[in-house]
Amino acid sequence: MSTWGERLRDLLQSAFRLAPWPTEAGLRAVGSPDASSPVLITGNYDLTVRRVVRALDGLDAWLVIAPSQGINVWCAAAGGHLSTHQVVTALKTSGVAEQVKHRRAVLPQLAATGVRSVEVSRRCGWQVRFGPVRAEDIPEYLARDGRKTDAMRRVRFDTTDRIEMAWMWAAPTALVVALAAALLHPPWILTGVALTLALSFAVFLVYDRLPEPRRPIFGGVAVALTLVGVSIADGGGPAWITAPLTTAFLTALLTFDHPGSTPIEGGAHFTERAWRIAFDRERCRGVYACWEVCPEACFDKLESERKVALAREDRCIRCGACVVQCPTDALAFEDASGARIEPDVVRRFKLNLLGRRVVDAGAPERAD
Amino acid sequence: MRWLESAPERYDAGMRWITLGCSAQVQAAAAEAAAPTAGLAVLEIGCGTGALTERLLQRGARVTAVDQSAAMLEQARSRLAGVACDALRWSEHTAAEIDSLPEAAFDAVVASFALSEMSPSERRYVLAQTRGRLRVGGRLVVGDEVVPGHLLQRLVFSGLRIPQAAVAWLVAGSVSKPIPDLAAEVGEAGLVVRSERRWLGGSLALVVGERRA
Repeated sequence: MSTWGERLRDLLQSAFRLAPWPTEAGLRAVGSPDASSPVLITGNYDLTVRRVVRALDGLDAWLVIAPSQGINVWCAAAGGHLSTHQVVTALKTSGVAEQVKHRRAVLPQLAATGVRSVEVSRRCGWQVRFGPVRAEDIPEYLARDGRKTDAMRRVRFDTTDRIEMAWMWAAPTALVVALAAALLHPPWILTGVALTLALSFAVFLVYDRLPEPRRPIFGGVAVALTLVGVSIADGGGPAWITAPLTTAFLTALLTFDHPGSTPIEGGAHFTERAWRIAFDRERCRGVYACWEVCPEACFDKLESERKVALAREDRCIRCGACVVQCPTDALAFEDASGARIEPDVVRRFKLNLLGRRVVDAGAPERAD
Repeated sequence: MRWLESAPERYDAGMRWITLGCSAQVQAAAAEAAAPTAGLAVLEIGCGTGALTERLLQRGARVTAVDQSAAMLEQARSRLAGVACDALRWSEHTAAEIDSLPEAAFDAVVASFALSEMSPSERRYVLAQTRGRLRVGGRLVVGDEVVPGHLLQRLVFSGLRIPQAAVAWLVAGSVSKPIPDLAAEVGEAGLVVRSERRWLGGSLALVVGERRA
């Protein structure tokens, strides 16, 4: 497909990335791979697969596409759609084993929330390692023989990422606003759409960069912007329909959890969801699996003591990757009341920032 | 039907609603075909909430039930809490992992609404593995969403499929993909197709295959 066609597809898929966009799971050859070429695993979200293929331009590799229900790697891993099961399934059924001599595969680091690497090798004999967070770092990662730099391990949320996430919220919301306005109050269409776009982009580009108290400041600016918009749209006429609509929309925008779409707040608007990481130093054996997969660099290696330190807990976004990976179960989720979610429950039921937080079976036990 | 899985407690009701009650008929027929007499060893792939598992147990089968979803298995466990445990074994594994079960150990292998959730390569692998699990003369019984065979039915089907897929997207994510030719896939796995029944305008099918050698 032409570059322009590709870009258009990127734009459309990022606009509606709240919906799944599946591509067929299975094996793809990138370049002209042979029996010793690297094996990379990803989910079957079409946008991701195309980006990985683009990032691998000029390299020869096998790409194993695991059935993640057409959802991107991080969301699928956090939501239970890209787990050890899907990776085992893909490695066993895609036919990759007949193509290569080795049994080493690279997973995206953000899959660590759902896929347990030790479990994959136990169940199908493949050694899986967590590669870089971003597809664009794969060539350098491969060139460095699988040694990650600190930057490769971190989730960035730079302006490009922010624009993409803002677009994901802005495009479908603007569509809904336009439809609602067309039905209720046609003069509101243009202004409504413009406001929706402006506010969505403002949330993602500006919100967390504002000084405290963020919410009142942001709310004030948003209300002022909206009043200007309402008066333009109504031309001094009746604001009885636009004003309540706008108020409702603003309230929704400002209180919405934006679950998982930013690595900033981690869906912590609701205190009952504010699980924190509990670290049992006695159990830690210095394997550093947590350090390897933490996308926010919360852990420090204490090599002389063969331990880790949870040095930057304030950065934690509760993705649960460390809890899932720790081979000695030294990490768990805990809430303010002392209720714990044990690692095995997190692994099986995906209790993390995006997955279900409550299950009947194996519900968190009270520590008291 | 994966979107129903994201809320396992709603799965059965959702399936009945979407198939206008036919999913239960498919499962009843599947249980009858897989366990015509009591005491047979049956492997169930993707048991989900245990609706078919329950029917198999009622017919006196000894069931090994495999499902990859811990949440689904919890539903199945609570449904079958009162059932004698020695006739039932649970296994939290993917369908592809049935290759680690003993060869020729089962009189029947069943799967209802599980194959349509798999990619073509996964389905090929799993179907090929089912043959190895069956003893000679054993039966593979698969019931699932399929593409209707007749042109007119296909037209009605594709018209209805769009709103159904839209609901599925809005509710939680993905949809299963109806299988183009289930009987042919059973045949490709090295089994002899004994019968094929259809429901709901040809969009649900139950295929029975037999291991002859």
